[in-house]
Amino acid sequence: MRNKASNLILATLILAVCAIGSVAQTAQATPPPPTAPHSTVFPKPVEKNLPNGLRVIVIPRTEMPLVTAQLLIKNGGEVDPADLAGVADMTASLLTRGTNTKSATQIAEAIEALGGTLNSSAVWDSSSVSTNVMSPRIGQALEIMADVVRNPSFKDEEIERLRRQTLNGLRGALATGSSIARFVAWRVVYRDSPYGHSLSGTPESVPRIKRDDIAKIHSTYYRPDNAILVIGGDVTAANGFELAQKYFGDWQNPPNALPKLQITAPESTAAGRRILVIDQPNAGQTTVLAVRSAISRDNPEYFRGIVTNAVLSGYSGRLNWEIRVKRGLSYGAASSLDMRRSAGSFMASAQTKHPSGAEVASLTLAEISKLATGELLDSELSTRKASLLGGFARSMETTNGVVSQFASLAMYGVPLDEINRYVANVQAIKPADVKSFAASRINADSTSVVIVGNAKEFLPDLQKQFSNVEVILASDLDLNSASLKKTVSKN
Amino acid sequence: MKRFTIVFVVCAFLVAAAGAVDAQVKMPQLKYRERTLPNGLRVLSVLDKSSPTVTINVWYHVGSKDDPDHRSGFAHLFEHIMFKSTKNMKAEMMDRLTEDVGGNNNATTQDDATIYYETIPANYLETLLWAEAERLSSLTVDDENFKSERAVVEEEFRQGILAPPNGRFFYAMDVRSWNAHPYKRPGIGSIEDLEAATIADVIKFHNTYYRPDNATVIVVGDFDQKQLDTWVNKYFGPIPKPNLPLPRVNITEPARTGEKRFMEYGPIVPLKGVALTYLVPSSKSDDAAALRMAATVLSQGRSSRLYQSLVYQQQLALSANAGADLREDAGMFTFTAFAANGKKPEDVEAALKAEIKKLQDAPALAAELEKAKNQIVTGQLRQRETSLGKSNALGRAAVLLGDPNRINTDLDRLQAVTAADIQRVAQKYLTDNNRYVIYYLPESERPKTSGNNPSTNSSKGGEAK
Repeated sequence: MRNKASNLILATLILAVCAIGSVAQTAQATPPPPTAPHSTVFPKPVEKNLPNGLRVIVIPRTEMPLVTAQLLIKNGGEVDPADLAGVADMTASLLTRGTNTKSATQIAEAIEALGGTLNSSAVWDSSSVSTNVMSPRIGQALEIMADVVRNPSFKDEEIERLRRQTLNGLRGALATGSSIARFVAWRVVYRDSPYGHSLSGTPESVPRIKRDDIAKIHSTYYRPDNAILVIGGDVTAANGFELAQKYFGDWQNPPNALPKLQITAPESTAAGRRILVIDQPNAGQTTVLAVRSAISRDNPEYFRGIVTNAVLSGYSGRLNWEIRVKRGLSYGAASSLDMRRSAGSFMASAQTKHPSGAEVASLTLAEISKLATGELLDSELSTRKASLLGGFARSMETTNGVVSQFASLAMYGVPLDEINRYVANVQAIKPADVKSFAASRINADSTSVVIVGNAKEFLPDLQKQFSNVEVILASDLDLNSASLKKTVSKN
Repeated sequence: MKRFTIVFVVCAFLVAAAGAVDAQVKMPQLKYRERTLPNGLRVLSVLDKSSPTVTINVWYHVGSKDDPDHRSGFAHLFEHIMFKSTKNMKAEMMDRLTEDVGGNNNATTQDDATIYYETIPANYLETLLWAEAERLSSLTVDDENFKSERAVVEEEFRQGILAPPNGRFFYAMDVRSWNAHPYKRPGIGSIEDLEAATIADVIKFHNTYYRPDNATVIVVGDFDQKQLDTWVNKYFGPIPKPNLPLPRVNITEPARTGEKRFMEYGPIVPLKGVALTYLVPSSKSDDAAALRMAATVLSQGRSSRLYQSLVYQQQLALSANAGADLREDAGMFTFTAFAANGKKPEDVEAALKAEIKKLQDAPALAAELEKAKNQIVTGQLRQRETSLGKSNALGRAAVLLGDPNRINTDLDRLQAVTAADIQRVAQKYLTDNNRYVIYYLPESERPKTSGNNPSTNSSKGGEAK
């Protein structure tokens, strides 16, 4: 049917070209090559420390009249006591829900009247409050932000309200296969170390959290010498520093020293590998994860790691190519390196129909393994680097994106000008570097597998591949320890 | 070229509580250039040298509402096929030309339009104009690619509808809310209809809708206008305008004549869902701005009415939202809420209705109105930070609102909305007779007696054809 159209195309071409007044061309069978590249310039941050130790970073950028400000505390979920999973996140979330002078509703009204947003949460290694607002209102937004960081009231009424909301949220997450799989994967890889629990807690831990636990997290970690303020967008450096001084300059450090945290997380081994099925008989789809320990953020192999991951992940990365594009087994397969301050992990994931669960698991492990043992041509590697670099550049198209990129560098003590070496550091990685990283850091034989779905549809196939499959019924799952299984207790 | 500067003044009393009063925030105008080729292709371009990239955004005025009969989900499946082969491009070559050089690509199928886009290093503009012209003029499809991509879309269905506990609830909303208009068919379709699709359907669909006079090419970024014009002429100019009529959906959704109630059931329902839907006019209606403002006052942010009432004070719901889902042919004003564990959907419904009555009985406060306007403007600023965001906004104005300059004038319409307008549209549309109610409950609560017409595992809900 396409061929018949060609005469018509020619006829119209002549007409069209006359009308447009351009030079007649025949249809072209190969893509026109690129023209000369345009140059990229990354934004330039400026920084200084206030006398109280608060590190202030300003990234001026004038394209849009918007400003994002983020106050980071250099501790997060990893400081949760073992039986109080979720307390750091609850502390961060409560900041915006009442201060010594304003109620939760008054805070929401004040920031939203400006058209702005104010969010707070804890993640691994950090807690943060951030605001995004039209630039003429950044002063007002920062005043609100400083108040919630410095003077939260942690009223019992708000604690109870947030506790109920958190438990309701967990009901949803624990009914969702992809979320269950991630909760389980963290326990599998980090076991009972401080990185292994659910950031938002568990149905058992959340009811145990008391006001004192929350106040203690705040008084211990929320202090200027443990904080970074990043302001980016339509603001000058001078104005940014002035605002920082005005709202955070008289923030005092407590007399006691900041606790030093020692976190050790286990290294994944072939002997310790788990093949774990969470049986959720009425699930609508199966989630497959492959997970293992990898590198912390300060590891000198950082760039080897992210380039290696880019070979596996992304639309045309090997995982998605094999699982989605070639076989139609999933809407998408991807992997990521989660690099924390004291440890890190690698995770590959895909969702598929139940009967394909075992096949997707084996394809995933095969691709991880092939990276260490198979061929990697320069031509493939260069396209994956281009994809990684393009994504990095796009991540800084927005005010929020710029702030979060620099905040992440600052958080982990990486010099901010590393951003200017990013391209060169990525380009320097050779196929041999990828192979060595894959062999030493993400070896497939010590990679665990977590599958959540209707087990009877994939378990027989999975048992043909692995001899040590553990099966836990979703209703027997216990996220409070690395065993993951509820112990039957009789009274 | 059109010029517009929108200046916006903030009422002094509004921000008094938060500190100093600021004067005005300028919404940067979006200067665009528009031209139409003799074959009907419309081209819009916006220069933006803030990064060395360019975004191409191609809008086809065909969407899920144009799915052929018994082929729900087809427009979306077709969108996936557009990333396969053309006469001069092998399957996945679009990814080679974008992802492999540091760009990215994607597409989205909406009810009224299908949008393909790529952001690429600026020096690849000509290459990608060629590629977009290729798939507009000479898409090819083979059995193997068709079947594997259809399997991908079926996994997308499972991932979006079957896997999330609330997927079936949101799926049911269009199915239950529309009576006659094809908006009643969810864009993702059903497994049966996807399985029934053939390569012949693909060819027919491409011939019918993928034509230059049904396409708008939008280019935003770092380019040279003269070069762009030359390349567009060269690659799109020769594509003929077919002599076939361009079919348009002309089904009018009938006015509702009384409340209807539906019960949907899911296998895993951690929190029960409640939805109220009201039939409202289209995105082109004069009431569109007031409806959007009403939704913002009701549910944007923690100071909004629904959050304050249902989530914060009464603690009946984990979340409560209002939305003005305004489409090209008609719209739906929706309320959705998830009951907190142990709370009754009936109480959630009553609380939503109480908020509707409040909106009808008294005008919104001046402070609420100003807040909503500030939230909307800030949201638009955020959208326009990226070339993709700019091109999406321009495409929506041009294709769905019928005038690209609506990108610059829509804010005026929102600024002009008064408290009385919000009250008036609430009284006019949020009426008892115009309400459909959908509950989403666990399968275990399905009445044992009414064995027929089970809610679906993989197909659409009960009343759909």
